[in-house]
Amino acid sequence: MNDYKLIIMTDDKQVVLERILQVTRYRGFLINGMNAQVNTGNQIATIELFVSSERPIELLIDQINKLIDIKGVKVDNKAENNGAQQHSA
Amino acid sequence: MNSSKPLTGGGLLFEVLEQHGVEHVFGYPGGAIMPIYDALYDSNVKHFLCRHEQGAAFSAVGYARAAGKVGVCMATSGPGATNLITGLADALADSIPVVAITGQVATSAMGSDAFQEIDIFGLSLACTKHSFQVSDINDLENVLHQAFEIALEGRQGPVLVDIPKDIQQAEVTSRLEEFSHLTNKVQLPLADISNAIDILTHAKQPILYVGGGVGMANAIDEVRSFAEQTGMPSVSTLKGLGAINADNENYMGMLGMHGTKASNLAVQECDLLVVVGARFDDRVTGKLNEFAPNAKVIHFDIDTAEINKRRFADAAILGDLKANLPLLSMSLNISEWQAKVKQMKADFGWRYDHPGSKIFAPAVLKEMSDLMPKNTCITTDVGQHQMWSAQHISVDDPCNFLTSGGMGTMGFGLPAAIGAQISRPHDTVIAVSGDGSIMMNVQELATIKRYQIPVKILLIDNAKLGMVRQWQDLFFDGRLSETDLADNPDFSQLARSFEIKAQTITEKSQVSEALKEMIDHQGPYLLHVKIDAKDNVWPLVPPNTANDKMMESV
Repeated sequence: MNDYKLIIMTDDKQVVLERILQVTRYRGFLINGMNAQVNTGNQIATIELFVSSERPIELLIDQINKLIDIKGVKVDNKAENNGAQQHSA
Repeated sequence: MNSSKPLTGGGLLFEVLEQHGVEHVFGYPGGAIMPIYDALYDSNVKHFLCRHEQGAAFSAVGYARAAGKVGVCMATSGPGATNLITGLADALADSIPVVAITGQVATSAMGSDAFQEIDIFGLSLACTKHSFQVSDINDLENVLHQAFEIALEGRQGPVLVDIPKDIQQAEVTSRLEEFSHLTNKVQLPLADISNAIDILTHAKQPILYVGGGVGMANAIDEVRSFAEQTGMPSVSTLKGLGAINADNENYMGMLGMHGTKASNLAVQECDLLVVVGARFDDRVTGKLNEFAPNAKVIHFDIDTAEINKRRFADAAILGDLKANLPLLSMSLNISEWQAKVKQMKADFGWRYDHPGSKIFAPAVLKEMSDLMPKNTCITTDVGQHQMWSAQHISVDDPCNFLTSGGMGTMGFGLPAAIGAQISRPHDTVIAVSGDGSIMMNVQELATIKRYQIPVKILLIDNAKLGMVRQWQDLFFDGRLSETDLADNPDFSQLARSFEIKAQTITEKSQVSEALKEMIDHQGPYLLHVKIDAKDNVWPLVPPNTANDKMMESV
């Protein structure tokens, strides 16, 4: 299993968190943790998502990017391979 | 609108539908959508009352696919909304633009387990491209416009808008001058054209692999021109059928699990796959790591997420097919390969000789294909008849072959045909169904009766769930489990009870005359064709097997 930390910039819209979590699970990624503040009244939300999977992370990035409210997704390379452990520690 | 009444959320819905050119909607009323149905009363939009919400959803899908427009369906909260889900999932799998409107209990009752309350907004996440729940009447107009924009933008798909009853009833006090357009459209990288040209010019044995995206992109002329200019042998997915004209000498038909032998053998031998609006579906590839093992891939698509999803692309060309495909058009020196492929096509053509007097479904479908008027729209259900239809009916446009590809939904064919016929009243529409599938949405015969929709139904009856029976015979040691339908109703009598003219045939000698009668009949017609229950669909690539190891008989 490979661990990744994704940084997701999104419009702060209804159920955007649920949408991201649903896509992440469905596309075969285990959700190990997240940091998110949404529905804050700001226009933009930033979500940090810690995931692990045997699958290439690009597959998940492309699928999250397709969600209508998403502005951008990137992998935090510094956190890659130990992001989940850091988060849960 | 009746000008004496204030505009409500329900009335606003129909105003926005009209702004988007919607003339027809499919639906079923109920408690939580009554204000919308009240507003319908004053609207110019024509509503078709289906007899089940799933029928409404599939009619909207058929309407959208046949006409290239957005299909619209409506249902009430709770079970009405959940009954739409299969149709929305089908539309998502096949990238069909549909807008579904659901009524919801009033906002004050939401979350209280109210009567007919379900979290359809939550349920929609996995089966729509996007969804909305409107909590403020001032948001409704913008949301409805965005629903249409999202349904059509990029890779098309279904959008659900859930509207609580109090929002439907609320008075609209302000209108938009302009709605907010999408701002987060996926940025497509620059197309890898020079790399693709390099790969193409070095190919000795290329194949053009055409999918449903061609029709969705309205790029049929471009793909045909590309096929013509390059002279490249071509194959089609189930959803791509009709994109390449069947009389193109280099076209080999469908590939994949029930594809033609020539298609599958040629793809396995090719050194380049030019993939156009297709996604390497598992029913196409068979065992993925043995699919076209020596081929490089040039992949054209509108959806970034399809690139490298199941097969690495040596060159990816993202964006509008209409604009991108001509960039690679060139003459290729592949005459040896063309000759080889043509020989394969000649060697492995279809055979329609079949012993005995019992009716052979492939021969019926071939004869119907030869008889049907130009621009006939075929819909199918799912199972053996679907694959036989894909193999033996020739269509000249993907919008003339509507079948549930990705989801493989039994019950699709009849309501989809209703939608198709309403969108194209002057064309012949034929639903090819099976005795298992038709019972999945048989209540829609009542919709045909109510509106006198002249859909023709060709019902292929083997008194079995034929495809499952075939697999049980081949792969489960003949242990036939729950696939016998010997207690089917008398289908002709059933059709007549809905005032639909019907005939049952059982012998080969009856086929020609019966087909002519069905096609020439002015109103709805059901032709019930009893076939041998033991007939199988061939060729068949067994599961987890390379496509060149297809079975051709028991």
